[in-house]
Amino acid sequence: MNAIELSHLHKSFGDFAIRDLSLAVPGGTICGLVGENGAGKSTTIRLLMGALRPDSGSASVLGTDVSSPAFRAVKEDIGVVLDEAYFPESLHAMQVGKILSATYRQWDQALYEHYLARFSLPEKKPFKDYSRGMRMKLAIAAALSHRPKLLVLDEATAGLDPIARDEILDLFNEFTRQEDHTILISSHILSDLEKLCDYIAFLHQGQLLFCEEKDTLLERYGLFTDSQENLDCFQPEAVIAAERNSYGGVRALVRRDMAPAGFQMEKPSVEDIVLFLVKGAKNA
Amino acid sequence: MKALILKDFYVLWRHFRYFLALLLIFSVIPKSFSATFIVIYAGMLPYSAMAYDERSKWEQLAAMLPYSNRDIVLSKYVFGWLCTLAAAVLSLGLQALASSLWSALLSPDFRVTALAVCSACCILALTLPMMFRFGVEKGRMVMFLMIFLVCGSAGILNAMVEAADHSRLVFPVLVVAGLPAVALVLTAVSIPLSLRFYLARQQ
Repeated sequence: MNAIELSHLHKSFGDFAIRDLSLAVPGGTICGLVGENGAGKSTTIRLLMGALRPDSGSASVLGTDVSSPAFRAVKEDIGVVLDEAYFPESLHAMQVGKILSATYRQWDQALYEHYLARFSLPEKKPFKDYSRGMRMKLAIAAALSHRPKLLVLDEATAGLDPIARDEILDLFNEFTRQEDHTILISSHILSDLEKLCDYIAFLHQGQLLFCEEKDTLLERYGLFTDSQENLDCFQPEAVIAAERNSYGGVRALVRRDMAPAGFQMEKPSVEDIVLFLVKGAKNA
Repeated sequence: MKALILKDFYVLWRHFRYFLALLLIFSVIPKSFSATFIVIYAGMLPYSAMAYDERSKWEQLAAMLPYSNRDIVLSKYVFGWLCTLAAAVLSLGLQALASSLWSALLSPDFRVTALAVCSACCILALTLPMMFRFGVEKGRMVMFLMIFLVCGSAGILNAMVEAADHSRLVFPVLVVAGLPAVALVLTAVSIPLSLRFYLARQQ
């Protein structure tokens, strides 16, 4: 079963629109949502959480249409972390716990306190005095303490130092050890997504350019670093995008299956693929 | 909804301490205007909670949690009603205590306090939809209207009581019966309107 299914979603804000967005995230997987600032990642997350009504199309999460009244009960099984924690600043962690225990029927206070201890979060310190890292850790502790089946993370690791990020990525990996647990994570830190994700979905200017298994994606493309003359030997449709390097040569993202025999290619990172695809889309 | 009211209570916890001090002072001042004013003012506490919500962008998170839009809107009304009722009960208790200790002070007037509660409900019903429509930041004009309504209604109630005392007339029956009815009608219209404005703002 797909944990998330978006079908032909449209949402227009005048100068920006999500257009014909269809995306399926299989249950038990981790899907990374990537794209530039303003590509529509947060809007997509708001649409799939039913916080925004689409102009057309449909969205279902954990098998329930997000526009139906039944979706409110399904939210019990979804943990959400946004780019900021968004708790009122005068609250402290214990008060946040009490509010959320009155919000979620399956809230586990002992688990929440375990996460507070694990992240070394002071229980009575006002939220406004927390550092950025502490705030995000509190938001993550809150999102996990009602034992969700789906985690939706919108830039949840942004602004964290590498150690805190690593700690949190470990936690997400732990979360997906249960086979019915799914994560949708949007992030600008593509190296994190490469470590964590099974699927990569790429949004560009409100349109989904692809959603594919990470390994398939990495096998499909190669990085070709050579002279312009040798790059010209490739069919034009095999070259996704190219840039001049500082040695007078070129560096290009190419399709391996369309490459002429005998040329050496490096394995690209997800970041290389995304950067060249954006470049290719801009030049198209 | 319990969670949302609890959240507002925690957010305003520090605020409440100052408010209780004001309540104590205003309740024992030997003029009914001050006691009336503080009860009506208590009904405005949801706006402080909304200002904190707006500052922390709480609404963005609330939209992701299992709260219905109706609960989010209704919780502000319920919070206002609870604050007003609590202020009324505390004010009456303090007035009774103060008048038993110092006989020079007036004994508490239940009718005036009840009318102050109704006035607070009317003001809440008139101004909350505007706050949901424009937000607390942009709704400064509504704040002026609120201050005018709070002071004005406390003054009017006080003048009515004094007039009734001087002329030894029965407190105007029309006001006693009419104000709760007006509060009910205004609230019945106000809640769906607030919900509509809230939904429009979310989209």
